[in-house]
Amino acid sequence: MPAVIKSIVSIGHQDSFQKHDLWETIQPLAEHSQVIAPDYKAYISPASLRRFSPVLRMALTAAQVCQNETEVPFDAVSVGTSLGCLKDTERFLQTFITATGDTLSPTAFIQSTHNTIAGAISMALGNHSYNMTHTQNSLSFETALIDGLLCIREGKQNVLVGAADEAIEFLDLLKPEVVRSGLQFTSGATFLSIQPEKPGSGRRIVDCMVHFNNEHTEASIAAFLEKNNIDGSAIELVLFAGEIPSSTGVKQINYEQYTGLYYSSAAFACHLANDYALPEGKYALIVNHQVKGKLGLTLVG
Amino acid sequence: MDIFVTGIGAISCIGNNVQEHFDALIAERSGIKKGLHPHSERFLVGEVPMTNEELTSHFQLKANGSRTGILGCIAAKEAFSGHMLHHTIRTGVISGTSVGGMDISETEYRSYIENQVHAISRYKQHPSGNSSEEIARELGIDGFVNTISTACSSAANAIMMGARMIRMGLLDRVVVGGTDALTEFTISGFRSLMIFDEEWCRPFDETRKGLNLGEGAGFIVIESAESIAWSGGKAIAKLKGWSNASDAYHQTASSPDGYGATLSISEAMKVANLKPEDIDYINAHGTATPNNDLSESKAIMNVFGKNVPPFSSTKAFTGHTLAAAGGLEAVFSVLAIRNGCLFANLNHRNVIEETQLMPVTRTTNVERVRNVLSNSFGFGGNNSTIIVGEL
Repeated sequence: MPAVIKSIVSIGHQDSFQKHDLWETIQPLAEHSQVIAPDYKAYISPASLRRFSPVLRMALTAAQVCQNETEVPFDAVSVGTSLGCLKDTERFLQTFITATGDTLSPTAFIQSTHNTIAGAISMALGNHSYNMTHTQNSLSFETALIDGLLCIREGKQNVLVGAADEAIEFLDLLKPEVVRSGLQFTSGATFLSIQPEKPGSGRRIVDCMVHFNNEHTEASIAAFLEKNNIDGSAIELVLFAGEIPSSTGVKQINYEQYTGLYYSSAAFACHLANDYALPEGKYALIVNHQVKGKLGLTLVG
Repeated sequence: MDIFVTGIGAISCIGNNVQEHFDALIAERSGIKKGLHPHSERFLVGEVPMTNEELTSHFQLKANGSRTGILGCIAAKEAFSGHMLHHTIRTGVISGTSVGGMDISETEYRSYIENQVHAISRYKQHPSGNSSEEIARELGIDGFVNTISTACSSAANAIMMGARMIRMGLLDRVVVGGTDALTEFTISGFRSLMIFDEEWCRPFDETRKGLNLGEGAGFIVIESAESIAWSGGKAIAKLKGWSNASDAYHQTASSPDGYGATLSISEAMKVANLKPEDIDYINAHGTATPNNDLSESKAIMNVFGKNVPPFSSTKAFTGHTLAAAGGLEAVFSVLAIRNGCLFANLNHRNVIEETQLMPVTRTTNVERVRNVLSNSFGFGGNNSTIIVGEL
């Protein structure tokens, strides 16, 4: 069941925060690029700001702006994160490995769980609704989005879906043995509010699907479009990561040149699709093939 | 639409399979004892007393990654045994975990900090999503795989996600539950929060001081009636209700009035279309921390008023197995229904003064258990409830 994108906010290495059209500002990432952070003080209390790691700051601010732009409280929150709160995880590892006495500071531990992000959002917004955290490697955003779309099918009216991941220096040690990508590890958060479709209500997430152990990318894309009764010729734009078959879509853009490497960056591609000028009746398809064998497909129209 | 439970699997300190868990629950035999490892020997914990190598060989697993993955494979394999794979039945795996491959990362990272050789390739096992993918591979399932990570409510939420996907026609059959290995990371974490009890934990007791940690995995297989017609799976119970709500109070503590828990319990009963008098047993979250048990008691009283059904926490058997707890306790809920039993809340002596609520202190046979309500509450104010019912 499709859902309308009511609001979408990204913070990351692009100058994306509260920009009306990402395509006007995005640029391929320069070497050693940094997060372009908004003024967090406007969104997060000073006490929280001192405690919060970059991923929490980015996610909470993006979520807060989505809430401001949609007015009615969210009746569900679904967040995807591939590696969770890495900075606090590493900080707590260091804390207990190097500890000499018997007492340990709990802050890093408290903030190390994957659902710190969604939990902090519920607290900051005073939101008592459904609150979920999905973590599925390179398909973390898609699984969170599938949950969000499920919430809409179940009758929810305003669902916050998001993805957030953060880079820490330690990750560089994983190259090239564990991570073969030549891209820089980066951080990013994209949150969007989705609502049930109403006539003429604007840009929509039409469908989202994930495949594991997938060796037939082309066939999977064809089946996905067929399921949605969409002809291949209606795909105006393909935003992709990793290898994809060359025959899909009129225009193909590798979105990782804008995001760098984090494993929920398909959410940023979703933002790019939202801002793209699509002709009437045409669609943007996000093909997330960041990791070989795992395929995320998101259709925006 | 009815959702049926057609398989159960469990591993924890009280047993390597469901039967051994049932025997321990009947015999009121806790598995919590002094830890076996350098990081656990100072504490009373519920450890599975086998090494990864022993587990892999004993259960003939393909998996050889993180302990979290291995424990998950064991319980999921038991739950899925006797189930056939067929391309007409869309089968998925949804698993909860809080630590994922931390058991490996923390060992390697210690070597790194101490300037020893650390094996970079081992960090491949770190991501939490890997444990679920490993379970899917072990079972030969190549459909939907999803990992939920909401701390101690992860498994309950995985069960809920599976049920919702079946109900909306996205899947026909799902292996759902959770798994967590006991790691130095979690032991240190709970130590930093100072919520350990140095003695055996005493859920719902006035003198309770905190929890004992455990490890393990619990999985159930759920499917639709159409799926059963295809698969020939044998229904043993129904999954009737589920809910998740946010307490939105504190990152680690529950609200004193149990607001989030009250929401999740009452919403799950609404989904199940059940009245308070239809619940015959509550398997409480009951971690034995002063904060949780009081808050949960209040929530139960908010929903059930003066007629609180028989309730107990089984954490004093298994220890708090974190993300696996809701999976193990879903298995216990099925056992309660199938065998007409209420399980003991071990080590209980004094009711909490403020609530005067008396749990079931001995494992008891009863005529009939129609519906069991099971709570799981996690960090971040993540409150979940599932309801398992008789066929």
